[in-house]
Amino acid sequence: MLSKVKSIALNGLEGYLIEIQTDISNGIPEFEIVGLPDMSVKEAKKRIKASIKNSQIEFPNKKILINLAPANVKKGGSSFDLAMAVGILISTGNITNLDINKLATTIFIGELSLDGKINRTNGVLPICIEAKELGIKRVILPKPNANEAAIIKELDIIPIENIKELVKYLNEEINIIPHKIKANNFFTHSINDVDFSDVKGQEDVKRALEIVAAGGHNCLMIGSPGAGKTMLAKRLQTILPDLSIEESIEITKIHSISEELQNDGLITIRPFRTPHHTVPISTMIGGGRIPKPGEISLAHNGILFLDELPEFNGNTLEALREPLENKVIGINRLSGNYIYPCNFILVASMNPCACGYFGNEENECRCTPLERHKYLNKISGPLLDRIDIHIEVKRPKYDKLNSKIKSENSKEIQKRVNIARKIQQERYKKYGIYSNSELSTRLIAEFCTLDKKGEELLEAAFKRLKLSVRAYEKILKVARTIADLEQKENIEYQHIAEAIQYRSLDKKYDN
Amino acid sequence: MIIEYYDKLYPESLRKIDKPPSRLYVLGDYKILNQMGIAVIGSRTNTQYGENMCKRFTKNLVEYNLNIISGLAVGIDGIAHKTCLQNSGKTIAVLPSGLENIYPNKHKELVKEIINSGGAIVTEYEANVKADSKKFLERNRIVAGLGVGTLVIEAGNRSGTSVTAKLTSMQGKPVFCIPSSLENNKGKITNELIKKGANLTTDINDILSCYPDIKFYKKKIVKKEVIIDIPQELLNVYKTINDNPKNVNEIAKESNLSISEVNYKITLLQINNAIIELPGQKYVRRTDEIE
Repeated sequence: MLSKVKSIALNGLEGYLIEIQTDISNGIPEFEIVGLPDMSVKEAKKRIKASIKNSQIEFPNKKILINLAPANVKKGGSSFDLAMAVGILISTGNITNLDINKLATTIFIGELSLDGKINRTNGVLPICIEAKELGIKRVILPKPNANEAAIIKELDIIPIENIKELVKYLNEEINIIPHKIKANNFFTHSINDVDFSDVKGQEDVKRALEIVAAGGHNCLMIGSPGAGKTMLAKRLQTILPDLSIEESIEITKIHSISEELQNDGLITIRPFRTPHHTVPISTMIGGGRIPKPGEISLAHNGILFLDELPEFNGNTLEALREPLENKVIGINRLSGNYIYPCNFILVASMNPCACGYFGNEENECRCTPLERHKYLNKISGPLLDRIDIHIEVKRPKYDKLNSKIKSENSKEIQKRVNIARKIQQERYKKYGIYSNSELSTRLIAEFCTLDKKGEELLEAAFKRLKLSVRAYEKILKVARTIADLEQKENIEYQHIAEAIQYRSLDKKYDN
Repeated sequence: MIIEYYDKLYPESLRKIDKPPSRLYVLGDYKILNQMGIAVIGSRTNTQYGENMCKRFTKNLVEYNLNIISGLAVGIDGIAHKTCLQNSGKTIAVLPSGLENIYPNKHKELVKEIINSGGAIVTEYEANVKADSKKFLERNRIVAGLGVGTLVIEAGNRSGTSVTAKLTSMQGKPVFCIPSSLENNKGKITNELIKKGANLTTDINDILSCYPDIKFYKKKIVKKEVIIDIPQELLNVYKTINDNPKNVNEIAKESNLSISEVNYKITLLQINNAIIELPGQKYVRRTDEIE
């Protein structure tokens, strides 16, 4: 008897419908899967056989043929296990009481375990988004994936624990209530273990990071070892503007297909990715035969923190240039072009020189000027061009570490950041951008106009402080953010003056 | 301008050396070639110690009205020139190339500053000659020849610096060496030179006492605070900044202002040229040294 069951496969972030056709006929016992399966799909034979047997259901000793249609597209992964098992069970008549119309709008996803249990799979959220668009009404999936899928409210999410339960459900012997969650409930989560009030002193860095968060600017922290660069960067996550549901779904989608989703459900905290400096290009950008999202995409809507920037492979860093500009990365393969979003804030840290102590009071710098120059030159101009804010992080003195004065906590800073972001979103509504960091040259001319006093100040600053030309637009963008933080309509000269302070690399290291 | 060997303006000190250049090409003030100067030379890849010593001794030498002669190279040479200019002294740079091919390119700005402050750029090569390794060594005999002595700060093994030191002593002039730690790679040669009889130099008097015939006068230097019109609104920040380097956090704490306010006021003070930024983002008041 022939049966048809549906499932959805993923190609990058996009899903497409797969029809699993199962035919069982008399003949020499055989089990074959066609439709360009890869090894993981072929191995499903063994899993299906064992799990059906171990669910106390007889496995048919007949000729079984499964076709995954469309047959000309390569298929991989273990998420078809469940659909194929259901196909066989329908064909053998174990599931009888079936509503064909209902089955046509149902998809099955899940990996089988040998004992009949159904294990979690990856990419459930993007599958469900696609399912909604394809007119699917019901999704039957592993229990651990239920929260993640339930974000799509239009679907009936049926979480299933094992094959026995599934058979009973499909035979309508038991009823399972569709899984529902309230998406808003998720947003009560917050990062509790780190807070800006943990950082003693370093008020100047905190101020700079507030601007970073408010304008979405990329930043580079320069400081001696032990100055607290990593500690401060980690806390930047806590003051970023609140996530909207749409942003959160986008993040969850990417993490869902890359086996990164841990706490089953919507990701409600902006990601903070810290790849090690030995990271290869394909891990950073995304890669593989069917490309998986790289670190830059996993950091989408969050922070990509590159500790010890000059230690990174030069090619890896250069590969960041286009993603930083376009906010999406396209990965070309023979099988197609895979596009992943990657709108992140780049936070990088580096030492002021190879030994790390240039400009430090306590330790003498051992570097020659030539060595210092070489160290700084490891970071190319085009990459520096994409970094708006330079922050010098100094080592705090001991008495500051010991002080009992509680500094401002993340919540208060975040409030100001949220207001500044809202102003920006309102202003750039028509232009399809969200923050000051995304301003193009044309938009800078429109939104970052200066009065005469500001104009004069900037000119004087360029002459006196010998700023490099590339600093010009960055200063305007950062000044715009500072003005937004103060909820000012126009950029005033004190905003410009403060913004100039965040270009220290242009001032002294760049000569 | 061009000075021929038989010209009156040709520096006397150069006539005495072996193989004197037949003609000199000069930019800037040619008269200072006949004034008393001392060569300050050292490695292109100096250490922090070398930089500190070079600054200290150059400053002292300038205070006693000595011109500083060096080779415009990166490293110690450049530091010597720059320190000399900062202390409003006069300096002579001897090029290993023609005047149109200033080497290293990085120091083109420095050349302008040297000329503007009454110094000179000297070479024996035609305008379009390019620098090469042979010319570096040839150039060194002029550096040694123009000065009344040579101060060696730091030197690498088999370096041009050690050649200059050798040439200086062959010309019968004193070589001054600054001692260095035995662990300092760039200090091996200077220590070696001292062992061979160069003058061990630990302070400026070690140099001056080698010239008993000459009376040195110390420039009277008065540290004077620059009087600049500080706008009223910047005064609260300016007051907290003094000779003691402070960072933004400390300034904010002392003046009871927010970081953003301090940051913008610091920029304005820098533009007004009232304060100077030191490495590590620390600020001090600008003081001018006036004779």
